[in-house]
Amino acid sequence: MEYLSIVLAPASLLAIVVGTVAGIVIGAMPGLTATMAVALLVPFTYTMDPVLGLMLLGGIYCGAMYGGSIPAILLNTPGTPAAVATAIEGYPMSRAGRGPLALKISVVASFVGGTVSVLVLLLFAPLLARQALAFGPAETFLLALMGLAGIVSIADENTSLLKALLAGVLGMIIAVVGTDAMSGSLRYTMGLVELIDGINFMPALIGLFSMIQMLELAGQRHASAIDTSTLARAQRSEPMPKGIGRYMALGSGTGTVVGILPGEGATIAAFLSYNFAKRLAGAKARFGHGAPEGIAAAESGNNGCVGGSLVPTLTLGIPGNSVAAALMGAFIIHGMIPGPDLFAVHADKTYPFIYSLFIANAVFLLVGITVAPYLARIALIPPAIMVPVISAFAVLGSYSLNQSVFDVYLMIGFAFFGLILKKLGYSLEALILGLILGPIAEGGFSQGMIIGRGSPAIFFQSGIAKVMWVVILALLMPPLIGHARRLLRPGDARKPRP
Amino acid sequence: MIARATLDRLVLAGFVVLAVLLWSSTADYSGIAQKTSAKYVRFLAGSFGILSAAQLLMSWGSAGPEGPLDLFGRAGRFFGLLAALIAFALVFRPLGFFLPAAVFIPLVALLLGYRNYAIIAVSTAGVLLAVWLIFVQLLSVNLPGPTF
Repeated sequence: MEYLSIVLAPASLLAIVVGTVAGIVIGAMPGLTATMAVALLVPFTYTMDPVLGLMLLGGIYCGAMYGGSIPAILLNTPGTPAAVATAIEGYPMSRAGRGPLALKISVVASFVGGTVSVLVLLLFAPLLARQALAFGPAETFLLALMGLAGIVSIADENTSLLKALLAGVLGMIIAVVGTDAMSGSLRYTMGLVELIDGINFMPALIGLFSMIQMLELAGQRHASAIDTSTLARAQRSEPMPKGIGRYMALGSGTGTVVGILPGEGATIAAFLSYNFAKRLAGAKARFGHGAPEGIAAAESGNNGCVGGSLVPTLTLGIPGNSVAAALMGAFIIHGMIPGPDLFAVHADKTYPFIYSLFIANAVFLLVGITVAPYLARIALIPPAIMVPVISAFAVLGSYSLNQSVFDVYLMIGFAFFGLILKKLGYSLEALILGLILGPIAEGGFSQGMIIGRGSPAIFFQSGIAKVMWVVILALLMPPLIGHARRLLRPGDARKPRP
Repeated sequence: MIARATLDRLVLAGFVVLAVLLWSSTADYSGIAQKTSAKYVRFLAGSFGILSAAQLLMSWGSAGPEGPLDLFGRAGRFFGLLAALIAFALVFRPLGFFLPAAVFIPLVALLLGYRNYAIIAVSTAGVLLAVWLIFVQLLSVNLPGPTF
């Protein structure tokens, strides 16, 4: 009850509403993602009350995951990558004059997915956090390796498996810069005092996930015209189709589970849920031509990721996806290190934050039902206006945390070199995951080596360590075997790889 | 424009060199760091070197038709934005956020080819006003100001 009263205080409700509405607006803008929004705003919450700051960011996360579906349905322009599956079914429905139904299904499914996943977070995160109390340095190191092993699942058609791993290890190498915690000596700082405390991961996050998108938009050769004809077309109101609930349940479950897996994001959750729905549905032929079931599954799937991704983030300090990584940054700058302490020492901040996600889901449900069709016009904001505004925020956000212009240069550097790596097929999600996991891994490794008196056997001794090795192997082997098979297949071996 | 495969191999070769340098740098670690941090860094350098070399070998083995890589798109706009960002950062400390942003936003909008001056002016003023109202007034965020 005490935590509920914190959430229901006027200031908290205002932060949640502002965050959620801002999230919907950002999510509705093509090219802007939830990660970008959260990464950009984390530094601004530094001087705020921690609970209010976290609630604001949580609202943005929930709102942005839903917001992407509005222009996807009405303009065939997904606001976020996770809304692509929604556009496949939503836009044909809008063209057929069934836009209001598509929007209604989308917002209700997002609400159901989001609520189920936050419920899972609320029920299971404290239990998992309690298990984490048994972790010693060796297990902490293995936990970071587990997160790194999850990187292989990030590999997709644009990112080769080895390049995903390379990006992850590169992130861990960048994290080595700074003061050596064991000896106190400086490493790889090149005489720069700004690097004594290491490379701050917030400028890196803003550079890799916000500024990079602006640089890409600025250099874009051809901007495709958006078809706005559906906005003017007469749309009829319809009741929710019967049996749509089971597709929402399917998407919610899939999204939550996918969200819990390190490295897996909302896009994968949405497409996986969409494909499951396609298999489950009787009339598969309707898919691609405006099937409401597809929207229900995809939207509940991508919002289901919200709570799921926060389970490993809050309990183990392993971000479930890039948005969760940005949120983890917010917890860290407020002195709340993810792990068991969040649910014990900082329970008065963590639980209100989790409860606030329920309210954020209710806020976007209300906004979605009342004003969604008008929000689609946000997608029509010209990139030439959006780019300088977001860029100005990126500069401000990078500077604000440490009042350091060096951090701004760092952000620009990460954006520039990150763009080159991205174009060459390296996973930026893996890079940032490596940057976050690096210090955790190094701390666990070094302490483990001291306890084990220099013997690496310590990393294999305890029961938990053995189970973790099994999980790491289970995560690594299937994609590695699949990758090796593809390479050995004569036809595929000659294909150029990204 | 540079060929994708060439740039890819150059980056991977750079990674191999980085891994070697990183590995050799651990010889300078002193005291307890030699038994702890140095081993960790060698683990990273070894993994990085092996993965980079494997990817490099594979890229030679799969030499298919490779087109040029369009890294920056419209280079003028891309590097213009980059230069404007650096200029923004340079004047940030003495001038704070609001004054440089009032110049940066319209300048970049014009650089990107937008010519609706009324929209540019309204957007710039609207954004700055919103930042001041939401962050400074409502959320009490301490934004840097000019230090004349």
